[in-house]
Amino acid sequence: MVCGNMAGLELLSDQGYRLDGRKASELRKVQARMGVFAQADGSAYLEQGNTKALAVVYGPHEIRGSRSWIRHDRAVINCQYSMATFSTAERKRRPHGDRKSTEMSLHLKQTFEAAVMTQLYPRSQIDIYVKILQSDGGNYSVCVNAATLAVIDAGIPMRDYVCACSVGFVDETPLADLCYAEESGGVSSLALALLPRGGQIALLQMDARLHQDHLDALIEAAMTACKGVGKVLDEVVRLHLKEVSVLTGE
Amino acid sequence: MATVKVSEAEKVYILHGIRDDLRVDGRGCEDYRHVEIETDVVSNTDGSAKVTLGDTAVLVGIKADIGKPRPMVPNEGYLEFFVDCSANATPEFEGRGGEELGTELSNTLYKVFNNKHSVDLKSLCISAGEHCWVLYVDVLLLQCDGNLYDAISVAIKAALFNTKIPKVHISADEEGAKEIELSDDPYDCMRLDVENVPCIVTLCKVGHRHVVDVTLQEKACSVASLIISVTHTGTVTCTRKLGGGSLDPESIFEMTEAGKRVGKALHAPLMKLLRQEESLGKTRQKVGFLG
Amino acid sequence: MLKSKTFVKKTRAGGVMKIVREHYLRDDIWCGSEICAECKQESAVLQTDASIESDLCSYPHYVIPDTNVVLHQIDVLEDPVIRNVIILQTVLQEVRHRSAPVYKRLKDIIHEQEKHFYTFTNEHHRETFIEREPGESANDSNDRAIRVAAKWYSQHLKKAESEADGLKVVLLTNDQGNKQKAEESGLLVYRFEEYIKSLLGNPELVDRLALSNDDKHDITSSKVLFPEHLHLSRIQAGIKSGTFLQGTFRASRDNYLEATVFVQGEGEDSTEVLIQGLQNLNRAVYQDLVAVQLLPRSQWVAPSSVVLQDEGAAKDDNEEDKEEEDEEKSLRISAAAEAARKPTGQIVGIIKRNWRPFCGMLNLSQIKESTRHLFTPADRRIPRIRIETRQASTLAGQRIMVAIDGWPKHSRYPNGHFVRSLGNAGDKETEQEVLLLEHDIPHQAFSQAVLSFLPKMPWAITPEDMGRREDLRLLTVCSVDPPGCTDIDDALHCRELDNGNLEVGVHIADVSHFIRPGNAMDKEAASRGTTVYLCGKRIDMVPELLSSNLCSLRSNVERLAFSCIWEMNHKAEIIKTRFTKSVIKSKASLTYAEAQMMIDDSTKNDDITKSLRGLNKLAKVLKRKRIEKGALTLSSLEVRFHIDSETHDPIDLQTKELMETNSMVEEFMLLANISVARKIYDEFPDCAMLRKHPAPPPSNYDILLKAAKSKDVEIHTDSAKALADSLDVARVDGFPYFNTLLRILATRCMMQAVYFCSGMDSDFHHYGLASAIYTHFTSPIRRYADIIVHRLLAVAIAADSTYPDLMDKQKQSALSINLNYRHKMSQYAQRASVAFHTQLFFKSRGILNEEGFVLFVRKNAIIVLIPKFGLEGTVFFDAKDKAGPNLHFDEEGPTLKVEQHTFHIFDMVKVTISLDASNIQHQKIRMSLIEPVISGVSVPAPDVEPLAKKPKLDR
Repeated sequence: MVCGNMAGLELLSDQGYRLDGRKASELRKVQARMGVFAQADGSAYLEQGNTKALAVVYGPHEIRGSRSWIRHDRAVINCQYSMATFSTAERKRRPHGDRKSTEMSLHLKQTFEAAVMTQLYPRSQIDIYVKILQSDGGNYSVCVNAATLAVIDAGIPMRDYVCACSVGFVDETPLADLCYAEESGGVSSLALALLPRGGQIALLQMDARLHQDHLDALIEAAMTACKGVGKVLDEVVRLHLKEVSVLTGE
Repeated sequence: MATVKVSEAEKVYILHGIRDDLRVDGRGCEDYRHVEIETDVVSNTDGSAKVTLGDTAVLVGIKADIGKPRPMVPNEGYLEFFVDCSANATPEFEGRGGEELGTELSNTLYKVFNNKHSVDLKSLCISAGEHCWVLYVDVLLLQCDGNLYDAISVAIKAALFNTKIPKVHISADEEGAKEIELSDDPYDCMRLDVENVPCIVTLCKVGHRHVVDVTLQEKACSVASLIISVTHTGTVTCTRKLGGGSLDPESIFEMTEAGKRVGKALHAPLMKLLRQEESLGKTRQKVGFLG
Repeated sequence: MLKSKTFVKKTRAGGVMKIVREHYLRDDIWCGSEICAECKQESAVLQTDASIESDLCSYPHYVIPDTNVVLHQIDVLEDPVIRNVIILQTVLQEVRHRSAPVYKRLKDIIHEQEKHFYTFTNEHHRETFIEREPGESANDSNDRAIRVAAKWYSQHLKKAESEADGLKVVLLTNDQGNKQKAEESGLLVYRFEEYIKSLLGNPELVDRLALSNDDKHDITSSKVLFPEHLHLSRIQAGIKSGTFLQGTFRASRDNYLEATVFVQGEGEDSTEVLIQGLQNLNRAVYQDLVAVQLLPRSQWVAPSSVVLQDEGAAKDDNEEDKEEEDEEKSLRISAAAEAARKPTGQIVGIIKRNWRPFCGMLNLSQIKESTRHLFTPADRRIPRIRIETRQASTLAGQRIMVAIDGWPKHSRYPNGHFVRSLGNAGDKETEQEVLLLEHDIPHQAFSQAVLSFLPKMPWAITPEDMGRREDLRLLTVCSVDPPGCTDIDDALHCRELDNGNLEVGVHIADVSHFIRPGNAMDKEAASRGTTVYLCGKRIDMVPELLSSNLCSLRSNVERLAFSCIWEMNHKAEIIKTRFTKSVIKSKASLTYAEAQMMIDDSTKNDDITKSLRGLNKLAKVLKRKRIEKGALTLSSLEVRFHIDSETHDPIDLQTKELMETNSMVEEFMLLANISVARKIYDEFPDCAMLRKHPAPPPSNYDILLKAAKSKDVEIHTDSAKALADSLDVARVDGFPYFNTLLRILATRCMMQAVYFCSGMDSDFHHYGLASAIYTHFTSPIRRYADIIVHRLLAVAIAADSTYPDLMDKQKQSALSINLNYRHKMSQYAQRASVAFHTQLFFKSRGILNEEGFVLFVRKNAIIVLIPKFGLEGTVFFDAKDKAGPNLHFDEEGPTLKVEQHTFHIFDMVKVTISLDASNIQHQKIRMSLIEPVISGVSVPAPDVEPLAKKPKLDR
């Protein structure tokens, strides 16, 4: 009769494939490009499957706005997360300013405060703006990954790449890099931002209920996934440098 | 609006150049910058286009939804416009900084595009007085380097061309209650006729001359500008004066003539490009922001 | 890591939302065949030697069925003969989408290793993925996907064809278009019937084939008998606009031309629509979800009181029609006369069929050589079904199962096919099977997939388990149960603490340790919901290894338990409650009688006895307190059969007797349940699984009040407490059985207790137990609700982890609906089993004369209770064929005047009891009146010990 999640989608088939054909630990296809815009100090575009984000960085520059923001020992990081009104399946009424985006902006700020070497730029400000162009799950992670590339493009020193990925927990199996159908299919998910070289966690967020016993396994899976993302980001940066040096070097 | 600071010496240089029909980047007064257009860039919209004009970049996404027709025109659908001046374009737009410009732009777009002469609004009607298609045209400003109106209008025309509205069947029972069913075949969709959709040409009065497609620097030297929406036949559907300065009737007439000329010439290559892209179908390699 | 995949997007429009999903294609999906050297699979499912004797396919081959074949022919696919089948992902998903029961059966087959069914994920395979083309319907696209995959297989296997010569792939489809296209592309393709008929040595499979569309045409005349069903979209539009109503079709048990449609409204606001006549019933079958259109008020009718059974054999259709017209006419005339008309309607369409295989018997066709026969289901609400079989003569006299395949508009009866035989009618085994099937009780052996989650034997408690649990092995724990109990799920202990208080522990088998959420065993248990106890048979909810061994708290073995431990003072007031996972070692498994004897035997003074006495003392205090609060003690006569150990026939029957120790165990179970309910509700206010017992609406008590009044006794029903108190004092001199009878009646007034999810309801009260909150915690071996409660409690005390479904109130609520349904059905089945055994008993005993009491008075009958057997029967006063006596029914009393004698509730009567076996499918106990003597009504008392008569087989 009625039994478990029979009615909904089968998130992990008996053969071990997910809705989109991936296996549990596989990431979506990650593609990225740095330096997409000329006006900003740094910019990058990154897509992880069907989630696509644009990040731009302005700064470091003088503090804009209130002088009370000034920090004498470091730069202030200012983030704004927003979503294009057409990015979701159901049209959004406004691109930012809602509670969810404000929270996302705050998370981004915290993440990058942990990664950017802000002490090098006292009394200044760095703006990171991220826009989701198309949303298909893992918005936070895609934003972080895009922003990392944009910060690198702006030439701002960071301790390490910040790579983020979400993981979910289904049938006692951690699923890496959830897409929207999985996120909304009742999976308890966790988002993690990692500085891969030192294995430091820049942000950990989990809204669903999960038993403590599973947490270790889930974080472990998330870290592996983040490292996978990190590898792709590194390739993108190296490729970009090669291209730029060809253009400017000779 | 996004601005740059230009020194007096630079202003003089720009003004003198324009007087001699030679602009800073080498263009003539009625020349556009390099334009790039790509459609179908956001897969979860019903129509989309990305346009770059020099360093100006806009992305337009169109979503079709079912709504109720306006009481005055029960047999027509309608378009809704929203312009998102995002902080990505310039830090000035952070928070609510871009709202004023966004409202100004969307109001103008509404006037230019939402009328039955531009788009066949009757074809958007599903059942008179009850259901119609509403096209939400959302414009996202990604980078500002002047001449937003022209870039946006080209992007909107391209996105409308690209828009695929799912076909619907209306079933009615004896009592006349209607039920809308969407076709389950993803290929079964309605296209819009964009033949009469106008493009906007902005002319800026710089010194004694008027120029099209100004950069931000040139804009800083101008006191006022005129936007003109022109169809492929050269018909002017809307004009509007923008900016703080004033214009004499003589130059408005001249600018209108120039706008008609430029606008008319804009349509043919645009349509050719769009059809060419369409004909590639699935074989087209999508570039988006990765190229 | 993603390099090997191409990237294709799949778009589908749902609503006006455009949803885009990614779809990855892979190179690492293997074919699953043993002969393939190219694929890097770890273990191959499909055998090299895939031969089955067939005169169509003389070569070894794998079979690929399409979706419709799986959906309709699952009965055949389940047969052990059918092996080496490739189930494509496309097919599996479509089946999942279209029919949950078939999907589950298919998955069970796939798990069965001996069946060699392999699931091929074709839609993610780079070479078998297809994109839908313009103008192609979803169905056509799926068909093409199936053909592409079949083609791929045949080419793929050809490459590997080194040793096994000529291993081929055969596509099975009944779709003409699909078959033709497959043939054009060079595939081996057959119709399912063709293929099955070609199998040598397995002719019985042919009977199980569901009829395909072509076959149906042959059977029926071309005359259209029924109005066309409306298309689903029309129905949906109609329901939205209010023209049609949506409801569940409930056929009448007594009249095959009448039914009601139950339309669920908002809250209490539900209506019933009456449907009369074949045309209006329009091929709806019991339990279908239908759309009904109300007729104009002028055409409304009243339900007829006529009993009509569809008796006509499969005669010539015309003749039959005439007869039916007459019947319908008589129906209408009788109806028109009545004043009380009800909303009447006609079925315009079927929203969802709810067909299941039905049990019943075959009526042989009168034409000897005919292979078409009518099948009469055991459930009278199900229409007769026309089937085709060649083994009719063998099947006559057997109980068989038949599935409906369809009901075309020009066929008087639905068409179906034979599924399997259950055995000879009247056999105990057969009847038990029928009983289980008819009550929808899952009772098949546990599937391989389920058994694979059992712990490996020999099993022992690991040091890790020990470390995480409290060691209570030294406590004097013992269990008290009915004799012969093998699934012991509770044990108790009681000891005095140093501070003079008592420590009492209830230890419940820790089933949730073994059954982990979401695995096949858990899903199976959730679906079964409860263990079903029939007379002489138990249908387990969990596999026997758990129910009777690892989870059974037997004496002198170490077992995992979930303990609820209280500290109490001697007034049975709880000072402290705690819950812990533990390990216990029971010191004794006692029966109620043994425990009672130990308590009563003053010479005994060992630890167990002391513990029992302590428990007993506290239980009495607890019970008193509970009754003071208004808990009800109601009675229903429970019957026990003494069953012959050799023949398993019932030889005697007696009503159950209750001992003090019964109530001792019960008290502590109630206490544990209440304590646990509080704890899980505190911790999870939104998703605690609780049990409530709503107070009955006052009108329910009418019959009880009237009955009591007739004996000048007053009953108060304002509250449970008032009811309990007034029942306690209700006595009539010289009528010692009166109080029991009243309590039996009171039981009938009660509502059903139900499980629910705390986040979905606000009324938690348990009326019968007079407790503000209640749940089930103490029998996890036999009730699934208890497993959920265990899991919740374990999470609450941080002993186990949670999972999303546990915290999802919608899912919990859906689960409770299933559990309530299973509980209800299990009770019905239990009653039916008792009834069947009662019949067996009376069959062997012949005719008996007994004293009884009138329990209810009806318009034309009295219902008599025989306390000695706990048996209820009806004494009818009107007869079908001859003129009945003068009857006068007075609703106020209620009394029934038969000729000169007036019957009241609780009157003592003498009746003779015999078995009426005239209808083999519906045997029943018949009672006739002996005393009081009413001329022309009562019968003379027959001899008490006549020879047992053999029931005659009709037809």
